[in-house]
Amino acid sequence: MANLDPRTKMIMVVCLSILALLYNTPAQLFLLFVFTLMLLLFFNFRLNVIGVYLKPFLALMLFLFVVQCVFSPSGLSILSVGQVSLVTSGGLLLGSSMVLRIIVVTAAAMLFTTFSPRDFILGLVQWKVPYELAFMVFIALRFLPVFRDELVNVITAVQLRGVDLKKVPWKQKLDLYRRLFFPVVYGVMLKAQHLAVSMESRGFRAYPTRTYLRRLNLYYADYIVMVTFLAATITLIVMGP
Amino acid sequence: MAFLEFNQVSFSYPQEGRFALRDIQLGFSRDGITAITGANGSGKTTLTKLMIGVLRSTRGTVCLEGRSLEEYSLGEIGRRIGYVFQNPDLQFFCSTVAEEISFGFVNQGCRPETVEEKIQYYLDYFELGNYRHVFPLHLSHGEKRRLAIASVLATEPSFLILDEPTTGLDAYRKRLLADLLIKIAGAGTGISLVSHDQAFVNRLAERVITLEKGRVVWDSGEGRKHG
Ligand SMILES: Nc1ncnc2c1ncn2[C@@H]1O[C@H](COP(=O)(O)OP(=O)(O)O)[C@@H](O)[C@H]1O
Ligand SMILES: [Mg+2]
Repeated sequence: MANLDPRTKMIMVVCLSILALLYNTPAQLFLLFVFTLMLLLFFNFRLNVIGVYLKPFLALMLFLFVVQCVFSPSGLSILSVGQVSLVTSGGLLLGSSMVLRIIVVTAAAMLFTTFSPRDFILGLVQWKVPYELAFMVFIALRFLPVFRDELVNVITAVQLRGVDLKKVPWKQKLDLYRRLFFPVVYGVMLKAQHLAVSMESRGFRAYPTRTYLRRLNLYYADYIVMVTFLAATITLIVMGP
Repeated sequence: MAFLEFNQVSFSYPQEGRFALRDIQLGFSRDGITAITGANGSGKTTLTKLMIGVLRSTRGTVCLEGRSLEEYSLGEIGRRIGYVFQNPDLQFFCSTVAEEISFGFVNQGCRPETVEEKIQYYLDYFELGNYRHVFPLHLSHGEKRRLAIASVLATEPSFLILDEPTTGLDAYRKRLLADLLIKIAGAGTGISLVSHDQAFVNRLAERVITLEKGRVVWDSGEGRKHG
């Protein structure tokens, strides 16, 4: 059962992500998170890897949390400066929901790493999704880690040129990030372009028909899991919060 | 006490069973040029990454000026040790060649009136003058290599590590690089370089360390060649 079809796992990820986007209380999202973790354990996934994936985005999550807390005030005031309430119970709930949502979607996406990307493309193609489209989905999944690695590299390289990121004042730090943004994004795009060139030079898309060495088969377990997941998701959505 | 010291250091990459480096006992002083050689995969890059704290030892400690590397932030290490990556693509993050060169000294509070002069010096020495406003990743391989070296040297570190700096350089550029490294070493900067280039190593190195399967199998010891 641990080797379900990639397509089945994809349906699971889609269901979990939809629920994560629709739910907006921390309690619901937390339950969803626990459920996702159990699924990952079931597929023999090492949970500490999630932490490794999320670490570069911690600052971003903290930022989103603070923004949500401060700029969507509602409910009781918890922390106030003079007449202005800075942190409210409503803002706090929204902020934690936001962060939990990111964590759930990331954790769910980890299911993609429990099968080979090749199988994933194969699965989509057998569902009559055009190969190019399936391949694009695969590249998008592939490039998320590339983007993350690039971010880690740049942060290391900047520090090795003698900048103590932790000690730089906020204003200067924002300025630095603003300056680094364009070159880093452009660098990732260049690397994607090199990949595209190397693929086309090896005959990708040159011939109208491709040959596939293997076929994937959906077994009963796959159908059962897919139907259960879809049904549960629809039920949860219809029932409302 | 050596500038950089490895005390019984072993290292394995996370999720890998075997050790990439095993029981390394080495000292690097701040004078002279040391070459690190060995076959592909013998652990040379891993060794240099441990020297700058990008990787942390699994067992044993690496000490910089007598204190464990763990006590330093990457920024503090970067101000003492310059590191040229094996793959230059990994170390560029600015929009132009000139910005890349000046990033280090501008951030370390160099006087504004000397900035332009320094940029020009490195552009000239590394023959990158025509590429001043070019995006670093658009350069050719050899140009990237020269820029990587220039931008690290521009921070004027007191110790310099270069991982395979001669790949992609033509004979003339190799000679220029060798001359520059000898000059820098003569001015009191310690240098460690990883290289397969036997002629380059013979010309420069006072000390040669050879790695094999993650162990030091040969260390010619410290000595002086360029007075
Ligand atoms: N990021 C990594 N993860 C796992 N293993 C690695 C990683 N980088 C290098 N290795 C392994 O560590 C050993 C030493 O690699 P490296 O230090 O790059 O060798 P060299 O620079 O001498 O060619 C090799 O067997 C290599 O496969
Ligand atoms: Mg190497």
